[in-house]
Amino acid sequence: MAENTDLRKVLKGHANKWVALSADSSKVVGVADNPKEALKQARINKEQSPILTKVPKLSGALIL
Amino acid sequence: MIVSLKYNYRKFDSKPSDAFPRRFCVSRPVIPIQLIKGQDRVKCFAMIDSGADYCIFQASLGEIIGLTVESGKLDHFGGISGQKQLTAYFHNIQIEVGGHEFDCWAGFSRDIEALPCGLLGQLGFFNLFDILFDYNKGRIELKLKNNT
Repeated sequence: MAENTDLRKVLKGHANKWVALSADSSKVVGVADNPKEALKQARINKEQSPILTKVPKLSGALIL
Repeated sequence: MIVSLKYNYRKFDSKPSDAFPRRFCVSRPVIPIQLIKGQDRVKCFAMIDSGADYCIFQASLGEIIGLTVESGKLDHFGGISGQKQLTAYFHNIQIEVGGHEFDCWAGFSRDIEALPCGLLGQLGFFNLFDILFDYNKGRIELKLKNNT
């Protein structure tokens, strides 16, 4: 299974949301204000191994 | 046996600015991991961050693996802005990286909920792996240390 590592398209339009991605990161399987709900949606969508990430409100440089 | 794990940098959307007018994309050393507590586990992205003193994740992820976040041991930490002291609560969990599971004394914080992912820092991650970042090739290699 080829893994998608360019997340620009797949995360577009989900700013400030928690997103559950498919195991290969190719599609969104859940979107919510919190990771628990995003995960719940992923399970409803029968995704076996969802990956959670938060999409930042503003897309810019990140210096931690 | 040498355990070597290879990953690609992940690309994220970025907004151009006066300083970087052609920056529409940023590449970051972000890898998929699992946070594990007992029978509960959650898969998430985490950024390998040599500037982080320890591993820290959003509190909301900790709750998914059954942690009562504020029952953990308290630590205060600061970020680059230095303006505010932030709060984390530490718990013994396991992290899974490339099919290998490790014990980790990890922080969970409500103050980093806005971050895109948790941070894999010096204690709990860099002490486990020799890490090669090749930004130009977009590659990351993790080699498990012999004493791990």
